[in-house]
Amino acid sequence: MRNFIIIVCFFFTTCSFSQHSIEFIPVYGFQSFTTDKYYPINQTDSVKIETLKFYISSVEFIKRDVVVFREEKSFHLIDLAKPQSLQISDLPNDIDFTHIGFNVGVDSVTNVSGALDGDLDPSLGMYWTWQSGYINVKIEGKSNLCRTRLNEFSLHLGGYRTPNLSVQNIELAVKNTQNMKIYFDLHSFLTSVGLQDQNQIMSPGIAAVRLSEKFAQSFNSREK
Amino acid sequence: MKKRLVVLIILLALIIMSFGITRTKVFRVPEGWPDPVYNFEKNPLTAEQIELGRILFYDPILSSDSIVSCNSCHLQYSGFTHVDHSLSHGIKDRIGTRNSPVLINLAWNRSFMWDGAVNHLDVQALAPISNHNEMDETIGNVIVKLNRSKIYPYLFTRAYGDDSITSSRILKSLSQFMLTLISCNSKYDSVMRKESSFTIQEENGYQLFRRNCASCHKEPLFTNGEFENNGLSVDTTLNDAGRYKVTLRSNDSLLFKVPTLRNIEFSYPYMHDGRFKSLREVMDHYSSGIVKHKTLSKQLHSPITITSNEKVDLIAFLLTLTDRYFLFNKEFSYPREIFSK
Repeated sequence: MRNFIIIVCFFFTTCSFSQHSIEFIPVYGFQSFTTDKYYPINQTDSVKIETLKFYISSVEFIKRDVVVFREEKSFHLIDLAKPQSLQISDLPNDIDFTHIGFNVGVDSVTNVSGALDGDLDPSLGMYWTWQSGYINVKIEGKSNLCRTRLNEFSLHLGGYRTPNLSVQNIELAVKNTQNMKIYFDLHSFLTSVGLQDQNQIMSPGIAAVRLSEKFAQSFNSREK
Repeated sequence: MKKRLVVLIILLALIIMSFGITRTKVFRVPEGWPDPVYNFEKNPLTAEQIELGRILFYDPILSSDSIVSCNSCHLQYSGFTHVDHSLSHGIKDRIGTRNSPVLINLAWNRSFMWDGAVNHLDVQALAPISNHNEMDETIGNVIVKLNRSKIYPYLFTRAYGDDSITSSRILKSLSQFMLTLISCNSKYDSVMRKESSFTIQEENGYQLFRRNCASCHKEPLFTNGEFENNGLSVDTTLNDAGRYKVTLRSNDSLLFKVPTLRNIEFSYPYMHDGRFKSLREVMDHYSSGIVKHKTLSKQLHSPITITSNEKVDLIAFLLTLTDRYFLFNKEFSYPREIFSK
């Protein structure tokens, strides 16, 4: 009986309850990052972010250029005001892979699919009511670089119709496939915006596409 | 003993089935009409969800001041448009930038609004609900208000099985009601079904229509659903570039969606900014008022030559598109029984 209990316990420990998870970690260059705190953007100017929300969708596991897993109903609204949203768990644990793929934003087909639920609920403040479509990335804050009322900037990046398609696909190498950490560097993104000239984007267009590309480029896994 | 058992089982089955039973409704496509565009599989019609949508449509709770309802700009008797106003107005008498379009045969629409800004019927209602000049509300706050109300938790349970009030349920119920607004019983339709005939004047008008108007106002929907530039002069107080605002393509500048002509007798004033009060003015525009914009639709490149008498005949034909069964159908009307409680 004792041996039986030991075997059963052993069985449960190897049958790992821990599944693959992805944690999105905002950083500012080599510093950690939090909202509502000023960071230097150059020698003289600074910036703080008050709101940062974006969609991560179509999560895939890839091994040697082959997609070995595709998450179903894969739409996650990452909101820095809601720390739990920064982690995607409930991913299967028995798959071998070398890279992770995902979209920053919502794909075109989903953008024409009407009223949706969960993280895609239009009442979450990430949907344009006056012209159908999702806001892929919403970044709001203040910087003395912005000659605007209260030095505010408001970047709502969206657009699903070519040539204003702004959803971005990313593929990153991952070594620790159990607990994947994906960093996104806001220093690199904010310095590429040009806040002195560009501080209000509220609709699809060239500017939204350019900044969506820059935002996606700020993601990395710190793995080769 | 066996008989009694059978009766008991049938009774039990009926009782069990009566819980959470919703009545599905079939969307009837009029004979000879094209297939609807709307994907009913994602939102199958039920009597209870349609009814909920109708109640929401007529309820001013959707607006921030609880005075403006969908019905305020979409009156049944005019084909569900805003009669007598060139530019529609919303809460606190704020004036918008366009005339509200009719809500007729929406299941066949590929896009919504004069510039096609809305790409799916299910998200249409979000636009007026959130617009500062219309209802000036948020869908989130609508949910709060509905949860607080006495009747909506019950109505949502009746329609969906539980009292969870979500944005998608609100929007899809509204869609269901709007999808039932089918107009296919005008005199024109009965003539097409060979149940009656046009007068000589109406027949003349019909032939003129087919020669001059039908390429854009295609039968039986009386719209091709496309965006066209019909040569309206630019109103510099509005500077409305139409479809261009949505696509940012210069070829789309001054293009607007072709509206249906069904019930045109009652849906005045006409055009996206309600600039024409009468059908006669519309005729005069097409015969002598077209501005040759760069993006003018090809169909209007050659002038429309039409005499004054012919205009009268054409208007006589357009009046045959009036569908009184639609305009006065109690199933589309204000749900007096609910709101009077």
